[in-house]
Amino acid sequence: MKIKKRWDVFFIVNGKRRSLTIEPHWTLLEVLRDHLGLTGAKKGCDRAECGSCTVLLEREPVYACQVLAVQARGQRITTIEGLERNGKLHPIQQSFVDHDGVQCGFCTPGFIMTANAFLERTRRPSPDQVKQALSGNICRCSAYAKIIESVLAASRRGKRTRA
Amino acid sequence: MPRSLAVVGKSLTRLGAAEKVTGRLQYTGDLKLPGMLHGKILRSPHPHARIVSIDTSAAEAMPGVVAVITPKDIPPNRRLQSDLAVLDWTVRFVGDEVAAVAAVREDIAEAALERIRVEYEILPALFDPLEAMKPDAFPIHPGGNLAGKPIVLERGSVEAGFAQSQHIFEGTYTTQVHCAAGMEPRAALARWEGDSLTIWKSSRGVHMVDRPALAQGLGIPAEQVRVICPAMGGGFGSKDETRMGTLCALLARKCGKPVRLEYTREEEFIAGRSRHPSITHLKVGISRSGEITAIHARTIMSKGAYMSSGNAVIRRCGQGSLYLYRTPNAKYEGTLVYTNLPVAGSYRALGAPQGQFALEVHMDKIAEALSLDPLEFRRRHHVQPEGQPGERQTPPGELVSDQPVEGGIPFSSNRLSECLRLGAKAIGWQRRWHSPNSSPGHQKRGLGMAMGLYRGGLAHKAGAEVEVHPDGSVEIRVGTIDVGEGAFTTLLQIGAEALGIEPSRVSILGGDTATTPEAPVTSGSSTTFSMGTAVKEAATTLREKILDRVCAHMGTSRESVSWNKGAIQITRPTKKKVSWKEAVALLSPEERRVRVEIRPGSTEFVINSFAAHFAEVEVDTETGKVTVVKYVAAHDSGRIVNPVAAQNQVEGGVIQMLGFALTEELLTDLKTGVTLNGNFLEHKVPVIVDLPPLKTIFVNAPDPAGPFGAKALGEPPSIPVAPAISNAIYNAIGIRFQDLPITPDKILDKLRLQERD
Repeated sequence: MKIKKRWDVFFIVNGKRRSLTIEPHWTLLEVLRDHLGLTGAKKGCDRAECGSCTVLLEREPVYACQVLAVQARGQRITTIEGLERNGKLHPIQQSFVDHDGVQCGFCTPGFIMTANAFLERTRRPSPDQVKQALSGNICRCSAYAKIIESVLAASRRGKRTRA
Repeated sequence: MPRSLAVVGKSLTRLGAAEKVTGRLQYTGDLKLPGMLHGKILRSPHPHARIVSIDTSAAEAMPGVVAVITPKDIPPNRRLQSDLAVLDWTVRFVGDEVAAVAAVREDIAEAALERIRVEYEILPALFDPLEAMKPDAFPIHPGGNLAGKPIVLERGSVEAGFAQSQHIFEGTYTTQVHCAAGMEPRAALARWEGDSLTIWKSSRGVHMVDRPALAQGLGIPAEQVRVICPAMGGGFGSKDETRMGTLCALLARKCGKPVRLEYTREEEFIAGRSRHPSITHLKVGISRSGEITAIHARTIMSKGAYMSSGNAVIRRCGQGSLYLYRTPNAKYEGTLVYTNLPVAGSYRALGAPQGQFALEVHMDKIAEALSLDPLEFRRRHHVQPEGQPGERQTPPGELVSDQPVEGGIPFSSNRLSECLRLGAKAIGWQRRWHSPNSSPGHQKRGLGMAMGLYRGGLAHKAGAEVEVHPDGSVEIRVGTIDVGEGAFTTLLQIGAEALGIEPSRVSILGGDTATTPEAPVTSGSSTTFSMGTAVKEAATTLREKILDRVCAHMGTSRESVSWNKGAIQITRPTKKKVSWKEAVALLSPEERRVRVEIRPGSTEFVINSFAAHFAEVEVDTETGKVTVVKYVAAHDSGRIVNPVAAQNQVEGGVIQMLGFALTEELLTDLKTGVTLNGNFLEHKVPVIVDLPPLKTIFVNAPDPAGPFGAKALGEPPSIPVAPAISNAIYNAIGIRFQDLPITPDKILDKLRLQERD
């Protein structure tokens, strides 16, 4: 069987159709960062450990480093860059600012994207539910207490949690 | 300070928070330049070998490969540190740099590494520092395997102290290789314009570390090197190695194009800088009346292949033994030994967590032997505000070290007894502490505690520039970097407070050698104290200038003007208010800018920060699992500049070091020297489900020497964690753990022995 070397594909990234030619071994993370200029998803490990690259694929949080871009073709992808509306922070983003759920900030986009998908499903979570939901993201500054506070506060605050 | 504080002590929102939550903040690996190439590093597969030959022809012939660099390209004596060449003909650990490639794509560069043929002559490898330090051991460096001169420090005479003692307690303690593992892997991006280099890189010291090392490694004057750290994705002290930046710059020079080099996660673990593993032997003498007559600590640390910042690490390891407990006689001996392991370097609090782990477990054992509650023992014996007994050695008028050996010098402030009192109360020590191994069932609970002391934040020098623009906005320029801890927020608050204006008018710029004054490394928890003092001084000078100008302009004297909510109130000759902007307009462009350089410190006092931590754990004797049920961290870091950020910093330090205490270790195969677990999951960094209920307490009493009363805070939280946990485990199951990390397998092994006895 001959492997197709180049694929002409499109993605719906943050609501916009983006067309490009990709190679079959490229990850979604590479495509976002290196070819679409969206560096908000971070490459912390490139091996499904840290969650810094978390984006939403059809509203489900995924490690972008573990999704081959060809698998995601034609699908809706939301990155951290797609959360603001009219220059206003998304309630979860605002909550991370207000509750200092941030230190160095490298893991922050990943945490916020995971939290986003979680709060979509769980309206009034308990602290334990928040912990379980975010257990696939690592923060080495270990701002965990403040991250939990931020997510809980966002769940109390926002009508609009949807990305 | 007569006026009350308006900005210091308030939880100002962290600077750059909005950029971080939107993903807009660009870290080095996010930067791109037109025509940029990608670099990759070839690493040694052998722990110790001489390179006989390197053939790069096949790699160079690959389409897309632009340049290859090997030791052949490095002029002899082009060194980054005395034991570290830019590239060397000898490799000293598995992962040591051999060659570097630049290509149009990262995957091509990676593929090219496999086409470089290297012939090695294998040399004997040493992984155990005790073996490596033997006189006949095979030398890893030309001068032998002792890295630097062993240090010996003594106050009084421990020999005399032991002679006066009734009991002598001895013990040996070990700690593991522990990686900082910041979320951002190291990255660099280099661009040449003629003979001048601009390099963006992960760095905690653009002025003092990267710039001189790059200039040295490239053979160009420092003025031709501009280093910029755009943002740090976690520092923890570890990002100060310099080979990567130099290789990136050399590739860019050879290609005539910008080159970006990023470490993989595995490289970050192996070729980054880890916490030195340590072996500490402690000997403590106790007199008939229960006084500590002498403390003698001896530490041996495995350096790995290169010195890095080992000198500072080994020194800091001894400070707890020299100074945390009141005793006329204390001695510390520290030895660094080269081994063929990944390089150990700076990591949060350097050697202090290792040294104070040994000390605080040892003191817990002594308390028990003397039938004293561990808290009571510490209350009786910890160093008091008047300092250590003995005579001052530092000549009068000279700055006192914040890591002194001598006695006879009081602390600027020492609220350790408050830390003990408040922490004990919060965890319910009096009510809940019990004798060891006395709770029933297989889930046994125990309470433990430990103290910690650390330098208060003196840097060799610190500089800051404060400039007010005609529109009234103020820019603070510092040469340090916010490594993610929030230092810039703190410095901005100090600047705004000193100026007497709203923080929203102030911005801060740092981490760029071209636009900021010389500054120390963001290290030793020195930013708040030292840089804060420099910022405060520059801001105060500017404020005074403005007031003088206003007085001259209005024909009044200084007694008749006062600061009122960011404006200047004049009471005589007529009552009038001058706005900040009007006042600023009176200054000439030169007058609007103040630059200071200071040597921070005190000639009268030792400046130290203190902590007491308390932990409650539950040990499952069937699985060996340790759960931290409750944790209390009480700190004396002087006045807290930003309470929320400070709390975040303490919580983060505690959780990071719960990993050091219980789970984390970088493992090496001792036959091959290969790192076995260079990744997050197997190195086992704590995740969010590991977060215990955690309470942070600040004594929050201003230090007379610190800027607005502040002292060091960044590293102290990492010091008492491991001993507090080990002591709590002892209290739960009656077994001492003197070797870190305390993993379930070690617990189960010892429980089986306990059953047998």
